[in-house]
Amino acid sequence: MQGIYLTIVLAPLVAAVIVGLFGRQVGRTGAHTLTIAGVGGAFLLSLWVLKVHALDGAAPFNATLYTWGVVDGLRLEVGFLVDNLTALMMCVVTFVSLMVHIYTIGYMHEDDGYQRFFSYISLFTFAMLMLVMANNFLQLFFGWEAVGLVSYLLIGFWYTRPSAVFANMKAFLVNRVGDFGFLLGIAAILQYTGSLDYREVFAAAPTLQGQTLSVLPGASWSVLTVICLLLFVGAMGKSAQMPLHVWLPDSMEGPTPISALIHAATMVTAGIFMVARMSPLYELSETALNTILLIGSATAFFMGLLGIVQTDIKRVVAYSTLSQLGYMTVALGVSAYSAAVFHLMTHAFFKALLFLAAGSVIIAMHHEQDMRRMGGLWRYLPITYITCLIGALALIGFPGFSGFFSKDALIEAVAESHLPGAGIAHAAVLSGVFITAFYTFRLIFLVFHGPERFREAAGDSHAAHADHDAHDHHGVHEPHESPWVVTLPLILLAIPSIIIGAFTIEPMLFGDFFRGVIQVSHAHDVLGEMAEHFHGPWAFLLHGFQGPAVYLAFAGVASAAYVYLINPAVADFFAHRFALGRVVNWILLHKYGFDALYIQGFAAFGRGLGRYFWQRGDVDLIDGRLVNGTAQRVVAWAAKGRTLQSGYLYHYAFAMLIGLTAMLGWMLFIR
Amino acid sequence: MFQLVLFYAFSAVLIGAALAVITARNPVHSVLFLVLAFFTSAALWLLIEAEFLAIVLVLVYVGAVMVLFLFVVMMIDVDLAALREGFNRSLPLGMGVVLLIVLELSVVLGGSGFSGKGGPVPLPEGGSNIRALGEVMYTQYVYPFEIASVILLLAIVAAIALTLRRRPGRLVQNPGLQAKVRPEDRLRILKMPSETRD
Amino acid sequence: MDMTFTSPSLWPAMPEIFLLASVCAILVIDLFLPPRWRHLTYGLSLMALLVTAAMVLRLGQGLEEPQVTFSGMFVLDRLAVVLKSAALLVTGAVLLYGRDYLRERQLDQGEFYLLTLFSALGMMVLISAGHFITLYLGLELMSLSLYALVAFNREQSASSEAAMKYFVLGAIASGMLLYGMSILYGVTGSLEIETVASRIMEQPVGSLPLLLGMTFVVAAVAFKLGAVPFHNWLPDVYQGANTPVTLLVGSAPKLAAFAMVMRLLAQGMEGLAGDWRDLLMVMAVLSLALGSVVAIAQTNVKRLLAYSTIGHIGFLLLGVLAANPMGYAAALFYVLIYVLMALGAFGVLILLSQRGMEAETLDDLKGLNARSPWLAAVMALFMFSMAGVPPTAGFYAKLLVLDAVVDQGMGTLAIVAVLFAVISAFYYLRVVWQLYFEAPINGSAVVASADLRWLLIANGGLVLLLGILPDQLIRACLSAF
Repeated sequence: MQGIYLTIVLAPLVAAVIVGLFGRQVGRTGAHTLTIAGVGGAFLLSLWVLKVHALDGAAPFNATLYTWGVVDGLRLEVGFLVDNLTALMMCVVTFVSLMVHIYTIGYMHEDDGYQRFFSYISLFTFAMLMLVMANNFLQLFFGWEAVGLVSYLLIGFWYTRPSAVFANMKAFLVNRVGDFGFLLGIAAILQYTGSLDYREVFAAAPTLQGQTLSVLPGASWSVLTVICLLLFVGAMGKSAQMPLHVWLPDSMEGPTPISALIHAATMVTAGIFMVARMSPLYELSETALNTILLIGSATAFFMGLLGIVQTDIKRVVAYSTLSQLGYMTVALGVSAYSAAVFHLMTHAFFKALLFLAAGSVIIAMHHEQDMRRMGGLWRYLPITYITCLIGALALIGFPGFSGFFSKDALIEAVAESHLPGAGIAHAAVLSGVFITAFYTFRLIFLVFHGPERFREAAGDSHAAHADHDAHDHHGVHEPHESPWVVTLPLILLAIPSIIIGAFTIEPMLFGDFFRGVIQVSHAHDVLGEMAEHFHGPWAFLLHGFQGPAVYLAFAGVASAAYVYLINPAVADFFAHRFALGRVVNWILLHKYGFDALYIQGFAAFGRGLGRYFWQRGDVDLIDGRLVNGTAQRVVAWAAKGRTLQSGYLYHYAFAMLIGLTAMLGWMLFIR
Repeated sequence: MFQLVLFYAFSAVLIGAALAVITARNPVHSVLFLVLAFFTSAALWLLIEAEFLAIVLVLVYVGAVMVLFLFVVMMIDVDLAALREGFNRSLPLGMGVVLLIVLELSVVLGGSGFSGKGGPVPLPEGGSNIRALGEVMYTQYVYPFEIASVILLLAIVAAIALTLRRRPGRLVQNPGLQAKVRPEDRLRILKMPSETRD
Repeated sequence: MDMTFTSPSLWPAMPEIFLLASVCAILVIDLFLPPRWRHLTYGLSLMALLVTAAMVLRLGQGLEEPQVTFSGMFVLDRLAVVLKSAALLVTGAVLLYGRDYLRERQLDQGEFYLLTLFSALGMMVLISAGHFITLYLGLELMSLSLYALVAFNREQSASSEAAMKYFVLGAIASGMLLYGMSILYGVTGSLEIETVASRIMEQPVGSLPLLLGMTFVVAAVAFKLGAVPFHNWLPDVYQGANTPVTLLVGSAPKLAAFAMVMRLLAQGMEGLAGDWRDLLMVMAVLSLALGSVVAIAQTNVKRLLAYSTIGHIGFLLLGVLAANPMGYAAALFYVLIYVLMALGAFGVLILLSQRGMEAETLDDLKGLNARSPWLAAVMALFMFSMAGVPPTAGFYAKLLVLDAVVDQGMGTLAIVAVLFAVISAFYYLRVVWQLYFEAPINGSAVVASADLRWLLIANGGLVLLLGILPDQLIRACLSAF
């Protein structure tokens, strides 16, 4: 088995390295063949691993493969922990990655950085697999940083665009904040348990209960709560929870396949995965769970609202991702880890599908992303339309689709919870359903239905883009369906988006799938309570009609249809004529002021502070006196030392003699 | 007693000659003083009955190496003034260091620290120096002996590599080819009607 | 006189004998080869080196106790196996790296290869020396070949000048070595390293003649390593010689010099460890200081690498002066890694030197990334490794040495070493900066034959691999002592 796990991890890495280093030699065909072979192989093997673990009931694999070093009894190791959770994540990661690889052939075929792109996404797959398969915090952190690194590289893939570079920088900085917390959390774990190995840490966790530490004098905090919250700060950065969410919408500057793979399906869910993996720790701290719950609900609700005012097709999907990540976080908060992972899985499929469909639309529109310049595209892009519609239905939780099962189970779990914040959370996730349905179908209607606005838009878009794609002679053009390499992944992703929920809800939420993997204390076991009323997926479906969620979703769709298809003036009225509407619209358009706060507030303050210290401290004191002073001294010494090397033979011989004499004198007289 | 007097006499001449090698104004004199130094060291060897080494030293160094050296020094033009200038300028410092080393060495070697083990063993009556050398040379010391011969081989190769160079474009005569040349290779006689200038 | 002489077992010295026989054979074959068949000499030389290396490794398999032959003149122990095989392989790599360069400049005469083989033979003799005489002869065999190689390109006056300096200074160092050995002989009555070691133990502590002999020997060893203040030849020779010769001078002989340190100081003068350790400490600090500071002022890459070598020698000495098996193993690891890095860094310079143009100054490295990304990446890797950045092998090398030093309670020394390592990181990173963030002055693409490219990539891969998986090599180094 160990060999198979290694192969799964290394196949994408090897492909990435070969394509990255020898891109020119292997060529475009070689690049995508190699990487697809690597990732495809990894996917097939992952499927087999899932079968062995989930169906055949193989015991979890937990072993160290390589000890990199031992420092003071602390082992720095590379090891794999493969159980049902890991196997599931491996399948999701490799499947979506495979789809994205195939899709990329079509999406990037005009791009000069074709090989570079394939190398990056394969490298990403490797890093993500390392992350999910880790059996210790060190490797987890390695994977964590590695996926982050590739993500930055890919956001800035078109590095000549200033906006891409800005987004790249933003993602990097915001993630640093999260990583800082994460690293502190790991350090705290090491401090208090003396190990980085999951198994040992989990075993030691109960003994930490009741231990306190005081960071600020006078306030003593529970060690476990501090650890859990610090780790969660890391998850907030990576999984873009408020208030560290600001980087994700901007990350849409990267190519669309990346948005699908990294910023929707896999990397951003790393935080969710991490918390689920750490369930034995989180279960011990109710404070931490409550914090998670509140942050998740805020993200789910407020980020969804922002989706309504966006005009960029990818940004709508991005805000929807934020909102859905909020849902998953809520599930973590109420200890329904299985529900979170379940939603993570279904979301990976339908959100990747939505992104790729959006990408397909973007190709058809010649890289136009503004929805106000689309409309009526269903006629021209039938496959994209249908698959996108499937994705949308799954997203809003249309009964029977995968998203329905995961989202409904999740809402149900929140309702069952007894945590203090559960009430607010329940309200947030329920209203979130309406919002989700509204913006999702706003997208569908604006893009695929209504009048064909792209014809009049083409003229000015052409003018606007004339500088950068002058070679691309597209005047008024007929959009046409994308090539099969683009539509095939859409179709392949549409299938699980429909059916996977119904098939897996029972084992994943109420069965033994996560037994021994996810630990839930009895007091928090909301899913256990739900299991008592669970009588199979069909009954669950019917039960869904008794709750408000389904009707809220329908209401959302209906409102969207009214506002964007039947009576478009309403939107304008709300946004501009109506006083409260204007205020709300203004707030939403400014994204609650987070960007302004960060950029004009923190960043500007930081820059000001930096400039002050730079001028006073660095330029004057450190540079002037210490560094330059030292450097000048060093350089002066260097120049002096250089003149010692005169080039004259007798100088050299003489230097040797003097050295010898000095040594002799020292040895014979002084000692 | 007589041997001791001889030893000091030869040693004094040896040191004097060595000093003269580096102080002599004329390079030819330097070389000749070097010859003297070799001679006296050969004499010192004779004193400890190492007559073979003494003879080899005289034959090889004095007879072959130094004569060659003498020729070379006589043939090339050494800029004495420049050498002298550098020498004089560095002399005080150099002398200081040399004195220091001499002081250090004399402090150590003046005291007795040497074991006397491994000193020259007197030959048995009628024994031959050459025979004794030969016996260890080809048994106990066969490995260093071989290495020494490799070093000589290397010296030959290196000398050839550094001096004999067939550079492309260099004009050389090949007497063999010159001798083989026939008139018809060089000269072709054409018959043609005469041209008139108009 | 001992008349019962049994002929020595030749088996442990088989690789040396084979190499010598090959040299003689190649010497004769080369004589009758027409110039266009010159590559045959090259191929035969390379093969001779590889076969010899294989023989050494074969002999080393399962070698537990040292094998002594030729009346104690020749020792085959694990240290010898590691160093000899490494030296042979490195010399082979030098031939490979230098091939195209020499061919382009019509320097690929048979004598070049022969001299290289001779120096390799000298290294082997030196490494396996069990006796002062063989040690000295091996040293001379190696050095004489190197002097000749440095002077090999007679068209360049710089080469001749460098060779002259190297030769004269080397002769002075040899004189010191011989003088030191003769004093040791005077005290102990033996030239055999083991006997010398045991007789030194019997001597009173602080015996002045012993200290005198030791100091001379240390000075000579320091010259061969290039430690301050016996380092002066190094920058001039590195710069003056042709790059392939610099590559040779800067790589394999360091292994031999390390063997010299081990044979003379660690084995022969074990009883004086407390004394030579002080000398080495001063030289190590001076070397670190000079190597890291003066390199900053250099604009010539070969000179820069020369000073970097001096700095690395400082680190190597740190390991030696720990004077215990752990320190020796750390030093051995360091020298092996250093040789790998030097090989690669000079290899890059050779690849960059095209017909009629030598790549020597930092300007020639500017913007290499734009001209050849993989070459720039490999060079950057070597620079990072030299600076000791993890996860390269250079990091582990420095770590082990520092560990050994701290283990001996010399924390201050370790801090000083780290300080100078930080200063030296400055100029390594400056090279990386030139590679990536400067515009190329010469925009032409780099032409390199495929095997050279693979060699360089393998070289770089090894530096990286040994940084990630150093266990095997560390274990091999530890088992040598």
